[in-house]
This record gives sequence, C-alpha cells and structure tokens, in this order.
Amino acid sequence: MAHGAEDVRKPLDWDKLEIGEALPSFSYLLTQDMVDEFRAGVMDPEAAFPTISHKVDINAYHRAYKDVGSVNARCAFYCYRPPVPGKRITVHAWIADKYMRRGKTYICTEAVSVDEDGHLLDRVVTHELKQPAEVGKKWG
Amino acid sequence: MGISRTYATGDKLAPLAKSITQEAINRFEGSAGQRGPSQFTDEATARATLGTRGTVASGRMSLTFAVELMRRHFGADVFNRGGMVDVRFLRPVRPGDTVTFEGTLTGIAKEVNGSRISVEIKATNLKGETTGAGSGTCLVPSGFLPPEE
Repeated sequence: MAHGAEDVRKPLDWDKLEIGEALPSFSYLLTQDMVDEFRAGVMDPEAAFPTISHKVDINAYHRAYKDVGSVNARCAFYCYRPPVPGKRITVHAWIADKYMRRGKTYICTEAVSVDEDGHLLDRVVTHELKQPAEVGKKWG
Repeated sequence: MGISRTYATGDKLAPLAKSITQEAINRFEGSAGQRGPSQFTDEATARATLGTRGTVASGRMSLTFAVELMRRHFGADVFNRGGMVDVRFLRPVRPGDTVTFEGTLTGIAKEVNGSRISVEIKATNLKGETTGAGSGTCLVPSGFLPPEE
C-alpha cells in the first residue's frame, strides 16, 4: 500500500474466509536488476525463478486482507518455464485452503504467474500459520 | 538428443550447502522491491512480530535452495520445465547458519510423457537440526531416458 493512502483492506476473519476466493490479480515488470539481486541473494548465478522472492500469492492476499502477520509453514513451487527479464508478469491468486491444527489457524494461498506472451511460468502454494508469535515461543 | 540419463531408487543427490548472511537475506527480499523493515531484515520487527531474538530467513529462501538442489541433479533443461518442490519449514534459519540440503531418490513412475522421478528432501543446520523437510519431483521426458527393452 502506498504511503499515505487509505488502507481499504479487510481485517482477516479466518472463520469467514472462503476457500476458492479469488485474490486481487496484479502485474509487474521483471527487470534484469531483480534477477541479479535474486541470484545474489540465493548465491546461485543460474537461479531461474526470481518469481519466488516476489511471494506473489501472499502479495495478492495482502492486497485484500490485513492481519497480525504470519509465518510460512510450508511452500510448494512448480516450475513450468523460466521468466524472461523485460517481460511483464501477471499473477492470479486465490485462497486454496484453510485449516486448524493444534489450535492454530492456517491459510493456504495459491498463485500462478503468466508472462505477457501467455506463457505459464510457475505455480506456488503456501501454507501460512496466522499466529506468528508461535515462532518465538518455540524457538526463541 | 544428448546423453541419456539414468535414475535409480536410492540415488543420492549431491548435497548443497548454503551459508546464510543478513546481506543475502536483504538482497533476496530487496530483489522483489521489499525495502521496508520486515521480520527478515529488521531485528526490532522480528522481535515484535515473531518474538524471535533476531531476524530469520524467509522460508522461500530455503524453497529456492531446494529448487537448486533438484535443478543441479536433473539439469536446468528438464527441471525448469517440469520440476517441483514441496518443503515444510521446521525450524528458523537465521543469519550465521549454514544449511545443507540433501536429497534421496525415492521413486520412478511412468507417465504419458516421460517418467516422474520423486526425491525426498531434507535440510540440516550445523547443529544437526532439521530446518526443513519435504519432497520434490521432476518429470523427465522419455527422450532423455535410455530406450526401453
């Protein structure tokens, strides 16, 4: 959200969250600088999916909802075609699942990235624990 | 078509070790334009949000390392177009940690357009603690595999 802009996002109500709910789509231009920074960050000059660091599924979620934060508990990533710098990428995301485990609530978001030529690039599925302070309680 | 590739259950993938620094975390986060303070880049935010003693690396960094582990084994030409990983994050990875990713081939299943190779993945820190665990698969087209008898 831009600094100073009114926050129109809904507070998360886990009970009311609907599985299958579409999250706001968005697009961005993938630049060579983004790719270079990503590769430096993961110490892999051949890393082909800088889309991973964009966290596109939770990015879409946070365009619709605000909450107290979360912790990534599990993540799956499917490779279909490496994105090309200079191309605009569009993200389509949705709520894939929600569940409760050991009294804690989780949300599962899913997204696909498609480039401006219509190529499917990747798919990501993330399970987020919505009680982030549990990390510090358990691990310090 | 180049050299054919052979796979067998029990094959070990070459281990991949990564030393995590705050700079690496910052660059990973910054690569997507995330420049503001977060639990990954700012100690005070991490303490307030997670209750941890300092910053942690995003689970997606570990996810990316698992992708690299698999890509190095299967080759970019195959893995980048038909691979996947699924990782559970079991312990925080922090700046200063060195984490080693290992994989063991667990299964080979025929599909209409090749064979899907399954791998068990595990990530361990220098204390021997498992920081992440999961699996991956790679669909290897039949053209890369030895001819059937």
